[in-house]
Amino acid sequence: MALVRSLRARVVLWVSVALVVLFAATGVVLDVAFRNSMDQARRELLEVQVLGLMALVDDESGELSLPTESLPAQTIDPQFGVANSGMYGAVFSDNGSAIWQSTSLLGRDFPIDYLTVAGEKRFERLDVPGFPPLEALLMGITWQFPNDRSGDYTFAIALSLEPYNERQAAFRRILIGWFLGITLTMLVVLSGLLTFVLLPLRRLERQVREVEAGERVKLTGRYPSEIVGLADNLNTLIDTERRRLARYRNTLDDLAHSLKTPLAAMRTLLSEQRDKAAEPAQDALNRELERMDQRVSYQLRRARATGATGLGTEPVAVAPIVEDLRQTLDKVYRDKRVRCTLDVVPNAVFRGDPGDLTEILGNLMDNGYKYCKGRVRVTAHSTPERLIITVGDDGRGITAEEAATLFQRGKRADESVPGQGIGLAVVRETVELYRGTLDVSRSELGGAELRVELARAGLL
Amino acid sequence: MRLLLVEDDPNLSRSLAAQLEQAGYSVEKSTDGREGLYYAREYPVDLAIVDLGLPSMSGVELIKQLRADGKEYPILVLTARDRWQDKVEVLKLGADDYVVKPFNVEELLARVDALLRRAGGWAQSELVCGPIVLDTRTQEVKVNDAKLELTSFEYKLLEYLMLHAGEVLSKTQITEALYSEDFERDSNVIEVFIGRLRRKLDPENSYKPIETLRGRGYRLAAERGAPDAD
Repeated sequence: MALVRSLRARVVLWVSVALVVLFAATGVVLDVAFRNSMDQARRELLEVQVLGLMALVDDESGELSLPTESLPAQTIDPQFGVANSGMYGAVFSDNGSAIWQSTSLLGRDFPIDYLTVAGEKRFERLDVPGFPPLEALLMGITWQFPNDRSGDYTFAIALSLEPYNERQAAFRRILIGWFLGITLTMLVVLSGLLTFVLLPLRRLERQVREVEAGERVKLTGRYPSEIVGLADNLNTLIDTERRRLARYRNTLDDLAHSLKTPLAAMRTLLSEQRDKAAEPAQDALNRELERMDQRVSYQLRRARATGATGLGTEPVAVAPIVEDLRQTLDKVYRDKRVRCTLDVVPNAVFRGDPGDLTEILGNLMDNGYKYCKGRVRVTAHSTPERLIITVGDDGRGITAEEAATLFQRGKRADESVPGQGIGLAVVRETVELYRGTLDVSRSELGGAELRVELARAGLL
Repeated sequence: MRLLLVEDDPNLSRSLAAQLEQAGYSVEKSTDGREGLYYAREYPVDLAIVDLGLPSMSGVELIKQLRADGKEYPILVLTARDRWQDKVEVLKLGADDYVVKPFNVEELLARVDALLRRAGGWAQSELVCGPIVLDTRTQEVKVNDAKLELTSFEYKLLEYLMLHAGEVLSKTQITEALYSEDFERDSNVIEVFIGRLRRKLDPENSYKPIETLRGRGYRLAAERGAPDAD
């Protein structure tokens, strides 16, 4: 049943199978019971009719004789007198000649070729051309006449099975109708019940999806006791994942500190004593230190970028981050007095790690502040699927070739780029983690405009 | 100018302090956060250089405490973290600038210089008071466009006075700013240097650039005239 994915489909399928088997068995049992009881009733009727017939026998003449239609109706079953009524009767003497045959036979012979011996009672199914299917009771008796003579006779009554078969068929129809009705009703009720019962599971599923998409931090609300453990475990998992990420970042920060402080010490020590003779060696050492630092920085920053994996990260509002960065950069480039205009839609949000967004925006805006003549413009707006950010300046702009080399910088760790940041390469890599794009064009302000489009986390 | 350097790496701390002193600053060193906070509270400081990863008390906490105490002098942060989130956080806390390790000492000196200038209300590296023009970058002094030859100590004294142009500075303040702690203090020395500086700046005794306020100290009286470019 691996193919049946839905719990509801599984339950409905198995309940249907169970109901069909149950009702089929019940139906067979009821059908057989009904048939048996009808057979019983019919045989009793046959016996009564034979006895009734015997009671009408006139033996005063020393011979058996039976009345004809002239007899009063109540003394003989009227069906014997109705043509093809489905009830036939006859009395045979022991030489096989019919002493009496009922009018319902319409002059035909009673369809029998067997004579009983005295005392024998025999039920027989008869399938004779010209007659409906019949069941006959043949009863052999030895008749004691008043004159002490005796003779063997066979009394025979046959009943048509047709009305019985019809009743059986009608019974079956009613039975099937009811069973079908009950089955369908039960399935409908069950389906509705399942919707109700599975409601918490659906909620759980929806919330997990929202957590994945970064729209929700944890699973909330009350869950039934059967799945409250599952929901709690999921929350624990989300929490563990988040803490693992935090620990990972702390480790990276510690690593950065413990690697960079000695590097800083070495550079500072090198610059302390300027000795003409040692200068070439000092310069070479400085270059090596710079390369080491670039590699360490680049790899650490790469490792720090989380990407769109963020389990349970809240949507990040873009505006405060841009505002913080503007204040930071205004402080850093205080003497330059850059006029930075922000055009950030208040509800622009980013689905992912706030650190990653800050890194992207920080590098782009820093670039703008660095290369502008005096103006920088930042815009951001989001669609349901994407966040679109542009940072433009009034500097000299970036050509496509320059952009290509800038974006590649740092990709090869052994590349030596003294004095050049690795900012844009980090931006490009971080943007790629979010399946986004980074493009360069010309800004309205006259300089370069860098445009980043980021996919919403959790979307392909 | 008295700087406080809070950095736990002994080599970095010693070498950086040596180079800062060489550049004319007096430097107090501290190797852990608590000690740094004690110095910052107890001694007059013009600028603090604080490493973020410190033992006993983190740099972040130290900066918070200093700002909570109402200390307003500039704080320059040394940090190994170069993520923008960290930079934003540090500046939001109240630091004024940051330098990412491993830094270039010259760049750090330029940042320190710029921070001190700004703290004195100067936007440019060229300080102008009346006819006196002092360039903090080249350490050149001109009076009425004529270059002036000053000794290193005279220059430091003039720079300090000009950075605080218009403010009254006591002898103690000046001594503490210009000498390291272990220097034998003698307020007469300041008087002597002020006298020499006056003769060099104003040989004809025409515009009296440095006022003496009896019992209170000195003030650079020449009007600030930094042309605010752009």
